[in-house]
Amino acid sequence: MRALFGLMAAAVLCGAIISVPAQAQERSAVRPGFVLPPQSGKKILLLRPSVRVAEQSTGGMAEPRAEWTDQARENIDAALAELQRQLGNTVIAAPEAYGEDARRVAEHQALFAAVSRAVIEYQFFVGNRLPTKKRDNKAGQFDWSLGPDVGKLPGADQADYGLFLLTNDHYGSTGRKMLQIVGLVAGVGVTSGVHAGYAGLVDLKTGDLLWLNADGQMGGDVREPDGAMKRVRQLLEDFPGSAIPKEVAVAEAGPEAKP
Amino acid sequence: MIPRTFSAIAALLVVALLPSAATAHKLREQGVVVTIADSALTVAPPRDWNRLDGNIGKHVETWTLDGGQLNDLTFFAGIEPGKPLVRERSKKREPLPRFSASTLLVELPELFEATYRSAKELADFRVTEVQPTRFLERDGVLFRYEYVDPDELTRKGEAHAAIISGRLYMISFDAPRLHYFDRNIEDYRRIAQSARLP
Amino acid sequence: MIARYRLALASLALALASSVQAEPALPPPYAGAYQPQGVDEQGLWREMDEEERRYSQSDIMIRDQALNAYVRKVLCDTVGHDRCGATRVYVVRAPVFNAGMYPNGMMEVFSGLLLRVRSEAELGAVLGHEFGHFEARHSLKGLMARRSGGDAMAWAFVLANLAPTYDVVRTYRDLQLTIIGNYFRFSRDQEREADALGIAYLNTSTLRPQAAAQVWERLIGEYQADALSKGLKKPRLDRVAFYATHPPQVERATTLALLARPDGATRDDGAERYRAALAPWLPQLLADQIKLNDFGASEYIIQSLAETGWTAPLWHARGELYRMRGAPRDLVNAAEFYGQAIALDPVHAEAHRGLGLSLLKTGQRAPGQQALRRYLTLKPDAPDARMIGLMIPQEMSEP
Repeated sequence: MRALFGLMAAAVLCGAIISVPAQAQERSAVRPGFVLPPQSGKKILLLRPSVRVAEQSTGGMAEPRAEWTDQARENIDAALAELQRQLGNTVIAAPEAYGEDARRVAEHQALFAAVSRAVIEYQFFVGNRLPTKKRDNKAGQFDWSLGPDVGKLPGADQADYGLFLLTNDHYGSTGRKMLQIVGLVAGVGVTSGVHAGYAGLVDLKTGDLLWLNADGQMGGDVREPDGAMKRVRQLLEDFPGSAIPKEVAVAEAGPEAKP
Repeated sequence: MIPRTFSAIAALLVVALLPSAATAHKLREQGVVVTIADSALTVAPPRDWNRLDGNIGKHVETWTLDGGQLNDLTFFAGIEPGKPLVRERSKKREPLPRFSASTLLVELPELFEATYRSAKELADFRVTEVQPTRFLERDGVLFRYEYVDPDELTRKGEAHAAIISGRLYMISFDAPRLHYFDRNIEDYRRIAQSARLP
Repeated sequence: MIARYRLALASLALALASSVQAEPALPPPYAGAYQPQGVDEQGLWREMDEEERRYSQSDIMIRDQALNAYVRKVLCDTVGHDRCGATRVYVVRAPVFNAGMYPNGMMEVFSGLLLRVRSEAELGAVLGHEFGHFEARHSLKGLMARRSGGDAMAWAFVLANLAPTYDVVRTYRDLQLTIIGNYFRFSRDQEREADALGIAYLNTSTLRPQAAAQVWERLIGEYQADALSKGLKKPRLDRVAFYATHPPQVERATTLALLARPDGATRDDGAERYRAALAPWLPQLLADQIKLNDFGASEYIIQSLAETGWTAPLWHARGELYRMRGAPRDLVNAAEFYGQAIALDPVHAEAHRGLGLSLLKTGQRAPGQQALRRYLTLKPDAPDARMIGLMIPQEMSEP
């Protein structure tokens, strides 16, 4: 029943915490005990990633750009395959689904979104953590799942893990201002441009969420191949077994400086 | 534009940004008897739960394991006749259906359904089963339901209810049909069995 | 988007005397299948294609093929089969008066709209209006026009896009908690243009164009009934997004009446075909409406459906509406309405159930139990059969 009132609050919360300085909030976690040794040759099923790129104008209105989105999708797909190849994993794209399969994929994507919201709201935002999760978390607890039905998704029988990927970009255009309302109410500025990325790795046998990275302030201009690589590196930098060196606090020039 | 909604969101935003205010989810420890919403209703949870912070009604409180979107266990501890199950956004413009002194046990699923439908503007809500049961050592009703939420996820639910001394006592549980409902339905049933009203 | 159910009423009276030329409108020649031009439009289409891919698989869709095919047929009959080829129609289970057309040709029709129109001509009028937005490519113009906007929508939109869901915007819209309003909010002038196009399609179709005005006249009636039953003097300004941009409904009804081709008045409006096509869904759509706890609007809708004759489903729905409100006089009325339903359809199981419960609650034990017993005989495997069985004395429940 609480969900009647919770949804809006949750989303505002998510938005808000992402704008808050990082110390209050974590942005990725790995299920305890999960290791993915380099060169273990695992197959990863990539569920159709939601990639959106838009230009943000002065009012904050996102204007979708088709060629950017296409470019971003290609760049991200290529970067992903390349990075996983370096890790010794193979990425396979989920086959096009029809009928009941398509419906099942949609329901799982909706569930992944709900689980991600819960993780961000109740785990990554430390101050809002559920007591059971907080207590258990002393042992590095990260226990979330989509359930074993993920094994029935099209292509799941061909792979070990499923990767859900969502990235949403709004690039600031010239003249973009701070969002004054947010600044006014919360004393928090919203930077020009929105660069959010979410990635989750799921065990296709159990449905357990093995790893989730949710970041509302990502670097890398996904409109460019280099930038897409950077973004994917960032999304995957905490990827289990990853040997990708972390890009520590590289001062972002900020995509808003670009056209 | 729309000052009412606007200020509500602004208020939420402020709350969200205050870490101290956000730590109020309370642990409900396994085996420890607790009272619900300052009423005489008690339960002894057979496993640890979290009581979510926030107040959606005078006699209402919500517990969860993984967050309200994944498992939502809500207690209605003594709703008085003439009152809705949860607080109304606007009593005048968006009234919720009311429990009344003449409400029958068999009508409680309808009341619950109409509350969900009105509050969420749902269309797809089905009560799939209504059974007599014993609840709080009185004759009560058990019902099961399924609905499509605004986040387009199908959720399943189950509830136990009884009318005692003219007040409504009810515990409901709902969770996504995928995985979550089956995983925790027994945890909910054990809570319902542990409920006591002197 | 056409208009939101329970929309604002204020300033209706002001617009009555709008100056409209009584010139029957005709649609422009069809330009053929349109492909998006330029970065803005291509981006918009791409995003909508992605959204359609996801949305079409959502649990919120009504998958009844017959119903979907019928709604599509009405659209095609209205706008013509050449234009219709550019669209995909989806019927969405949502109890509100609404329909929408996306810039890539995806049309959504809410089940609450199907409950509120009475004929193919009326449905065609609404769908034609939405198609008008599409043909005039209003979404794109809206996007361009709002580029420099600095209103509250800006940050709400950004926040919405930060949250990790596949489509928060839609979630918010359905929740109606949002100040985002619709992503594709049209200006008042655009609504007028779409109205004119909608009526133009009807004028050239075989359907009766005068029906377009009826939709709005009835909607006005529903708003008034809703406000009256809630004791409201003022309209629902919290749906201000539509209040601000849609032409007031009275003006709209007047305009549409003037633009309709006079010689079309004798045409068939397809009311009987519409009733037949909707009949399998009507009880469900009525239940979806009644359980919204919106007494005035629900009563108005039932009454208006009954103008062509009371049926058992209508009497039953009215009984349910009154029993749920549950005041003592409501229960007396409910019992009478259920009785009417049973008179028309003696094997309407749910009417016997409602009658039994209403009688019991007004102290008429024996006849109440008799009715419940009849319910169980007619529907032994009802979801609540055991519960109802407990309310009947043993010797009665075992014939």
